[in-house]
Amino acid sequence: MVIERHLHILDFTLSSLLRRKGKNGALLLVYTLIVFILASVLFFTHALKREAALVLKDAPEIVVQHTLTGRYQPIPVAWGDRIGKINGVISVRPRLWGYHYDTLLMANYTLMVPAENPPGPGSIDLGSGISRTHGANSGDMIAFAGHDGVPRMFTIRKILDSESQLLTSDLILLSEKDYRDFSGIAADQATDLTLRVRNPREYATIAEKITRMYPDTRPIMRSEILRTYDAVFGWRSGLMIVILSAAALAFIIFAWDKATGLSAEERKEIGILKAIGWETSDILMMKFWEGTAISLTAFLLGVILAHVHVFSTSSALFAPVLKGWSTLYPSFRLTPFIDFGQVATLFFLTVVPYTITTIVPSWRAATIEPDAVMR
Amino acid sequence: MISVRDISKVFNAGRPNEFTALRRLSLDVQMHETTILKGPSGSGKTTLLGLMGCMARPSTGRISLNNREITSLPERFLTEIRRSTFGFIFQQFNLIKGISALENVMFPAYPTGEKFSTLHKRALATLEMFNLDKRADAKIEWLSGGEAQRVAIARALINNPMVIIADEPTAHLDTKLSQEFMDIMRDLKARGTTIILASHDPIVYDSDLADRVVEMRDGQVVHGGTGP
Amino acid sequence: MILDPSILALLVSSVLISLMTLYACGYGVQILRRWDIASGSELQLALERRTYLISTIVSYFLAFQLVSLFLLIQTVDSICHLFVGAMCAVGTLTVNSFGYPTLLLKVATFILAGLWLILNYADNKGYDYPLIRAKYLLLLIMAPFIVAETVVQWIYFLGLRPDIITSCCGSLFSQGSRGIASEILAAPSVPMEITFYACMLITVAAGTRLFLRGKGGYLFAGMSGISFAVSIVSIISFISLYFYEMPSHHCPFCILQKEYGYVGYPLYGLMFLGAVTGLGVATLQPFVKKESLEKIIPAMQRKLATVSVFSFLTFTAIVTWQILFSSFKLEGY
Repeated sequence: MVIERHLHILDFTLSSLLRRKGKNGALLLVYTLIVFILASVLFFTHALKREAALVLKDAPEIVVQHTLTGRYQPIPVAWGDRIGKINGVISVRPRLWGYHYDTLLMANYTLMVPAENPPGPGSIDLGSGISRTHGANSGDMIAFAGHDGVPRMFTIRKILDSESQLLTSDLILLSEKDYRDFSGIAADQATDLTLRVRNPREYATIAEKITRMYPDTRPIMRSEILRTYDAVFGWRSGLMIVILSAAALAFIIFAWDKATGLSAEERKEIGILKAIGWETSDILMMKFWEGTAISLTAFLLGVILAHVHVFSTSSALFAPVLKGWSTLYPSFRLTPFIDFGQVATLFFLTVVPYTITTIVPSWRAATIEPDAVMR
Repeated sequence: MISVRDISKVFNAGRPNEFTALRRLSLDVQMHETTILKGPSGSGKTTLLGLMGCMARPSTGRISLNNREITSLPERFLTEIRRSTFGFIFQQFNLIKGISALENVMFPAYPTGEKFSTLHKRALATLEMFNLDKRADAKIEWLSGGEAQRVAIARALINNPMVIIADEPTAHLDTKLSQEFMDIMRDLKARGTTIILASHDPIVYDSDLADRVVEMRDGQVVHGGTGP
Repeated sequence: MILDPSILALLVSSVLISLMTLYACGYGVQILRRWDIASGSELQLALERRTYLISTIVSYFLAFQLVSLFLLIQTVDSICHLFVGAMCAVGTLTVNSFGYPTLLLKVATFILAGLWLILNYADNKGYDYPLIRAKYLLLLIMAPFIVAETVVQWIYFLGLRPDIITSCCGSLFSQGSRGIASEILAAPSVPMEITFYACMLITVAAGTRLFLRGKGGYLFAGMSGISFAVSIVSIISFISLYFYEMPSHHCPFCILQKEYGYVGYPLYGLMFLGAVTGLGVATLQPFVKKESLEKIIPAMQRKLATVSVFSFLTFTAIVTWQILFSSFKLEGY
């Protein structure tokens, strides 16, 4: 009984929506656009945050850098021995990594000596982005100019493929010997030191001890990096949304206008329905289904389009605004995801304001007097 | 019996455009009879039809339907009574455009939650009564004037009402269609349906159909009333 | 303050909802003062039409509030790493003293809105608006809570500053620390398990009695309220342990996460449903003698009791299933 009533009213609602294609089409278009833009911003920043978290998941708990007058410096490997003796530190490892600017393709690459399974001298592992731009595959030879300008030849051992393309896309892995030769860093120095610490509560204490031991070092905690990333991305998307709220406001006004400006024909139809035996709550139900149909269509369409936009076209439309740093990598794919928080957020930013906007106009329409058609 | 006692209906009360449509009017309408409200436009016929048909509530006074007081019922109850007791035929048919004749006939039954298949069957059968079964899928705007009129009557009958209420049904019809309308009413009357018509068309109020003609003027009954 | 999209969404929507509630209250007051069912005046007709608007607003409120409750938990969970030491929603909620009050107000307004709609439903069934006064008094009671929730939530989010050291769920719920949450844990889990099952048993028995004999409305409603509270305490005390399969993880929010198959959503959903329908029985009880509702209220109470008992039983079944088939065993903890 109740279900049949809903079905009948829903059926009528859908057919009325289709009968007014022009008006509802315009509303749907604007609505979908708003959802699409907001969803793109949310998905994109959230995906970047996730990428960062993925990378940092395996990052060392604490990184120690050497500074000279506040600027970064290579760190003597020997310092690691003393730091390793601090209580709570499980291990200390010197790291070798840096950037390389490819003048030919005008791109920045990251060079790194991996801790485990490094390529043998003379061979390298290549990120998928570099492999693509150079057209190089495993087994090929490739040359890069070192710090002294002399090119060095490497054999490609394999192309890196990983869960997070954002960070491996521009990566070159090579052996310690090759790295020192390529970058000219002295044999007793390293780029930085990484520490493994078991108990998260000891991070702060250990960091403090290190700065006391070597005042010219800067310990960076993993959680700090993550927090900073998050704060930056959170702010960016928040800011975008504040700016976009102007657009959203315009949409609300548009929706209000559409909802209040019932055409004479629509008013007459509702009057007829009421006269022949529909009740106010039936019309409210009809308006509810109307709102649901429009919101659901716009919401799903907007979210799907945004998903495609962010994860398949790499946010072609506004990546430059959101990424924020100057030269990102040639091309990358973000790992697709969908979660409740994001969808619920979108729901509250679009469907809820729309629905609240239409409550009063719908009610006004529903309370047209049944005898109005007779007058 | 629909019994109307001392009812007044005031629109825009307390405002400069205050307008009294009915003044302390009393009237009894017997079941299975045909009652015709006659009078010039503005005499309150339509307002009275609306009040008797549970479309609105009077400002003062009481109305009872088969001895049940219905004046102070909430709208949802009034609607339920209206839906199950009354079938309405309006001056301009008031069919919904862009939708098939069959669906138009089914609309009044939608809120009852009747099963679609039985409702569909019933609506088709009703259309068949008026030789409209072949036009069931035609949209309203494709129908001729006569067909539209019959669809409007079919719609009024879909919930098997005890009472048919028609407001100026022949106002926009030529003589032939008006006669056709009266013939259909005659059929309905023969089947025991109570009919209440408001009209100032002689074809209606002079017809043999009328058991009683009530004459109205300025919101009051001037002739034919049975009230105290 | 943190300018996170989810936080913005929560703030904006709660402000909109509060405004709508105040708007509804304005008419609620008018209805309480000017209502006269016997009158056919235009004012009375207009007021009757307003009742439709107000019930529409409250219905939407109920739906939005449910989503916003879960979104709040999800949001504070997702930003917990901004706060040193916070490991999940619990940590973020304790960053300042407005976190838990926001959550509690959301739960309270959700339940109140549910009860209001139950009253509204009964009122609509009576031909003389029998509950109109009770309904609008309840609306006026509800409104301050809704507005308070908006204000408290606003203060809470404004006061969130990353890096404030907070307790994570590990320390908040560990035996040593003080405060309400650890008091809950201080009740040992085995007696808590017994209390939980005893509570459910009495609730089901009271519900069955109400269903069969139509008696004991207040008893059943009281029991379902108690069961709701006991279920929350039980989740913290022992139920969560079986889902996390860890002896010291007592967090009531992590079961909403993907790692645990989102099992928290059906669990909390069933608890809310059971509580609202159960308490609804008591909300209707005072009006059982109203002439126009004589037949309607007992039938409604039966239906509500059925839904409530069914919800609590399903909840218990899921919990029991997990206790029996989880590889985790509580003995010894």
